[in-house]
Amino acid sequence: MFDKVEAFYRPANVREALRLLQSGKGQARVVAGGTDVVVEGDDSVRYLIDITHAGLSYIRRRGTASVIGATTTMAELEASDAMQALAGGLLSRAARWCGSALVRNLATLGGNMANGSPAADMATPLLVLDASVVMVNARSRHKLPLAEYLAGARTKRHARSLLVEVVVPEPPNGKGCRWSFQKLGRTAVDISLVNVAAGLQLDSRGRVKWARIALGAVAPAPMRASGAEQRMKGRILDQALLAEIGAEVAREVSPISDARASAEYRREISSVLTRRALEECSAHVGCSL
Amino acid sequence: MKNMELHLTVNGESLNWTIAPGELLLDVLRRQGYFGVKRGCEKGECGACAVLLDGMPINSCLMFAAQAEGRQILTIEGVADGGKLDPMQEAFLDHGAVQCGFCTGGMVLSAKALLERRPDPTEEEVREMLAGHLCRCTGYRKPVEAVLAAASKKRNTARRMKPVAEVVR
Amino acid sequence: MNGDRAGQSRDRQGAVSRLVVGRNVRKVDGVKLVTGGAAFTDDVHIPGMLHGKILPSPHAHARIRRIDTSKAKALAGVHAVLTYKDVPRVPHTTAGQAWPEPSPHDTYLLDSKVRFVGDRVAAVAAESRAIAERALKLIEVEYEILPAVLDMEQAMAAGAPVIHDEPDSTKIYDRQRNIAGYILREIGSVEQGFAEADHIFERQYRTQRQQHCPIEPHVTICWLDADARLVIRTSTQVPYHCRRQVAMILQIPVSRVHVVKPRIGGGFGGKQEMLLEDICGALALASRRPVKIEYTREEEFYMARSRHPQILRMKMGVKRDGTVVASQLTVLATTGAYGSHSTTVQGNTGSKVLPLYRAAHMRFECHVVYTNAPVAGAFRGYGCPQGFFAQETLVDEIACELGMDPMDFHRNNVIRLGDTDLLSAQLGEGKEGLPRLVRSCGLPQCMESAARAIGWTQKRKSLPNGHSHLRRGVGMACTMQGSGIAGVDWASAFLKMNEDGSFFLQVGASDVGAGADTVLSQIAAETLGVTLDKVIITSGDTDITPFDVGAYASSTTIISGGAVKKAAARVRSQVLELASKMLDAPVDQLDCANNEIFTTCACRKSVSMTDLAMQAMYKEKLQIMDGASHFNTDSPPPFCATFAEVEVDTETGQVRVVHLATAVDPGTAINPMQAEGQVEGAVAQGLGYALTEELLLDAAGRPVNPNFLDYKMFGAQDMPKLTTILVETDEPLGPYGAKSISEVPINGPAPAIANAIFHAVGVRIRKLPIRPEDVLRALHAERPANLEEELLTQ
Repeated sequence: MFDKVEAFYRPANVREALRLLQSGKGQARVVAGGTDVVVEGDDSVRYLIDITHAGLSYIRRRGTASVIGATTTMAELEASDAMQALAGGLLSRAARWCGSALVRNLATLGGNMANGSPAADMATPLLVLDASVVMVNARSRHKLPLAEYLAGARTKRHARSLLVEVVVPEPPNGKGCRWSFQKLGRTAVDISLVNVAAGLQLDSRGRVKWARIALGAVAPAPMRASGAEQRMKGRILDQALLAEIGAEVAREVSPISDARASAEYRREISSVLTRRALEECSAHVGCSL
Repeated sequence: MKNMELHLTVNGESLNWTIAPGELLLDVLRRQGYFGVKRGCEKGECGACAVLLDGMPINSCLMFAAQAEGRQILTIEGVADGGKLDPMQEAFLDHGAVQCGFCTGGMVLSAKALLERRPDPTEEEVREMLAGHLCRCTGYRKPVEAVLAAASKKRNTARRMKPVAEVVR
Repeated sequence: MNGDRAGQSRDRQGAVSRLVVGRNVRKVDGVKLVTGGAAFTDDVHIPGMLHGKILPSPHAHARIRRIDTSKAKALAGVHAVLTYKDVPRVPHTTAGQAWPEPSPHDTYLLDSKVRFVGDRVAAVAAESRAIAERALKLIEVEYEILPAVLDMEQAMAAGAPVIHDEPDSTKIYDRQRNIAGYILREIGSVEQGFAEADHIFERQYRTQRQQHCPIEPHVTICWLDADARLVIRTSTQVPYHCRRQVAMILQIPVSRVHVVKPRIGGGFGGKQEMLLEDICGALALASRRPVKIEYTREEEFYMARSRHPQILRMKMGVKRDGTVVASQLTVLATTGAYGSHSTTVQGNTGSKVLPLYRAAHMRFECHVVYTNAPVAGAFRGYGCPQGFFAQETLVDEIACELGMDPMDFHRNNVIRLGDTDLLSAQLGEGKEGLPRLVRSCGLPQCMESAARAIGWTQKRKSLPNGHSHLRRGVGMACTMQGSGIAGVDWASAFLKMNEDGSFFLQVGASDVGAGADTVLSQIAAETLGVTLDKVIITSGDTDITPFDVGAYASSTTIISGGAVKKAAARVRSQVLELASKMLDAPVDQLDCANNEIFTTCACRKSVSMTDLAMQAMYKEKLQIMDGASHFNTDSPPPFCATFAEVEVDTETGQVRVVHLATAVDPGTAINPMQAEGQVEGAVAQGLGYALTEELLLDAAGRPVNPNFLDYKMFGAQDMPKLTTILVETDEPLGPYGAKSISEVPINGPAPAIANAIFHAVGVRIRKLPIRPEDVLRALHAERPANLEEELLTQ
């Protein structure tokens, strides 16, 4: 499968990794956990660049933000105290859905984003948390909103760059703030048919102060349901609003039919999971629905 | 294709192998005679190729052999201590958790790793661990029972062993 | 744990209580399996071994106009390239069945026509997998693409492309209409039966293409030994059929072929097939080198075999009190491009299913058609899962319509001890069969115990459903199967004694992971009066072990076990005869147990097996040894009751099985722990069949989901709580009263779950797998699934 590979590199830092990527002339592939690269089995790859020795496995605070190195594994995200404390453990919980325990010991957060799957389970919670990615290339280091990155993840746009970390700004917190991750698969270990992450902040009178809804596997890339988010602002989250949001989300998504599920089913489930996510968020804050 | 050297430890033995840079760990292990590492799907779905990498279960079909540089690997061949079976292996036999045996090695390794981390796992935790191992023979009930029984036995043994260890110290 | 069941093991003969049979002993091959011993087909390095690869057809139906292998042959490292031009053309079936195989002989080692995506175009043997793959790409093929038919309902239509237009295939029922096989059998007169009925119910059901998914894909290694005989080391359930078929296809004498079956990583019927052995053997002969062919998981999905998809129309006539008077099953099935197991699987859909009810009038009609789809074959249950899905959901519907508890409906109507199933007499393995007399029947107890486990009576009346979107329901199904094919399956065994009082047991039977080696050793040990460690078994090697048809049709325990028991009894007589001399006691006052022969009279004299063996070998110059063959003229049915509790999410359509209770009557369980394992494994496959598993094809016949990422079988987290109950009976035709167990439990989950879904949410799902979106669509439909519409009342 990878019999054209001429060299396997283990750069000790990002600069060296970038140099190797540059000299690979488009025939180099970055390997973190390897789980997606191997399954994809791209026959044309000549050079493999293992970035797990490049100092990118970390979970840190930087100012008020949390910063997650690209080669941090799903298992590490799951087990991390800092991640379990951040946004009600949203990222830890979502990480636990990323494949089997065996896969989670290898698969990395950077890999999950760089693969650019519309169903990537970590993308929706990160979108809800307004995350950015830090991209480094030979000339610059720049921060890019995750949504923008994901839109181009499956193109050649970032071919000469390396995703080095994911930055999660301090999320709204306090008593009125809750999070949810919902996933529907055919079996426990499965690619999402639909996944939904949501974050909600209510004011003291129970009105929606801040809301985020993101959906996976229902559009070419993981997406925010901005229309639905807008509709919720300043309103009391009751059954009528939930129904309205569900309908709005169903309008916003653009799913496809495949072997896993039909587009119609995915659309309907988008509504159902969104409603359940919001119910979970509001149930925690004692909102009576 | 240029070959490269790989230095790693397998079942406690320090080894130097010559590999191709694009080779997968599964292929290299089998070529070196670790036949207990099984080829089931080559996509990381079935878990038959599982080995412990520095104590953590992984799918060796999803990993380039070169990624194992300097790491410790345990395959099912390294689990029994000479002729003495590991208690997890005993439990799999006693509970009828082995049928064709093709997925067994991977399950035993994952189960051992789980008990290192969680000596007193719940059934749910055992099932979550086993979810990485497809088994077409058993329906999973007996493997789950075997892991829970091995865990309970290990805890009891550990309790009994404790005073002895203190005396030795 | 090991001794737990000893107390329960009933002693029916009143003689010495059983010491080995009925005990939960460890698998005799267990240690090598838990330690990763090199035990499977591919666990060998053979110097000079080449990698074989098959070029699969990219088209569903095409003629090879031109094929040029020169570039592939010229590639460094390639040692053989074969096309239809290079091999003998022998029509055959790949079905591993007893000679003469009842399946159509419509398959060729390689052919100038391809009939499904994945059909063999050419084969190469090269020094590595990578070179072999590169060589495949260098083979130039010019296809004349032919119109294909994928829909089984279109296959018989006028103008449909004829898939088997070659003149030399045989045993095809009607090749012009793509009909591989046709079956029509009737007992009594259904016309009269329906006329006598107060209510007639008729519904249509659809079942899907399920794949076996053994975790070990098919793998075969062939080489020529020092005597230039062809050795075939292969993952097979049928070493002897394989030897005969390969010899015939490659046109070499049977005596020049040696088939070795090592440990097998699961078969489930998929390896009851001569699948890679012929082409691998041909490559080994062509290259004069050892050759291995190993399917990738993707190839396993569409180039191996699968379960026959069917469309079933089931009609039943009942009296007002629920008594079944007539039943009729009309089936359209597709065998895919080749007719492997086509008439026999479908024959079972009638003969093993309809006779569960004591109707005087039964009719079964079936067309098995060719389509340009992957080939179907034998699969655990062998036609019964389809038939029981139709029958048991219809029966539930009838019971509900009549206001009866489905349990009562079953109690009143199911086959009983002493009944004779006459449909089986009409429908044998590709010919007339033999009537089945029910000599042991634990079905009523199965029903009662599984119902108790699930809490049937209480839950049928009220479940705490309230207004939640999660709704619970319970459902049930009863099923039966056979134990070997009556008058067809046979087996043999050979035993010889060693100096240390141990015995070598040689059987042709094929342990494919289900534990046959252990069960057969237990039977031998019990009969010989030795401990299990004194029996050393060798199985499934055509040079060493005597004949056995192989591991299929739930035959191994009853048929191979019967042979072992017979052989062991003969050896035991030889042992006792010598002991009689040594102990100076008449044979009828001797018994043996625990490696000792002793007098049963008060004198209490004894001799150990070891001493006796030494005496035999070095004083008497006698090798204690004997063999026996065995077959049955009846196929005793094992029975099963499956009860399911489900939770349906009415917003997503997801069905979670909460609890599945399965009670089986296997006759005597030779090894209860292993027997339970058979039930639980079958149930897991049955759950996947019910809810998630389906190999999908696109409009061009290409597989859409040939991997575990998209073909979803049940994992450890998906399984419900399982209750497994063995209701032991004593079958006169089985060794120590054993019947069979491995197939029957697979039949129940689909109908039990479908019935539980109806109980939970009031919709009838008549198509497998029951996907969440189908449930949701049914729930959205204003009136659930034409409930009244099709009910015809006289």
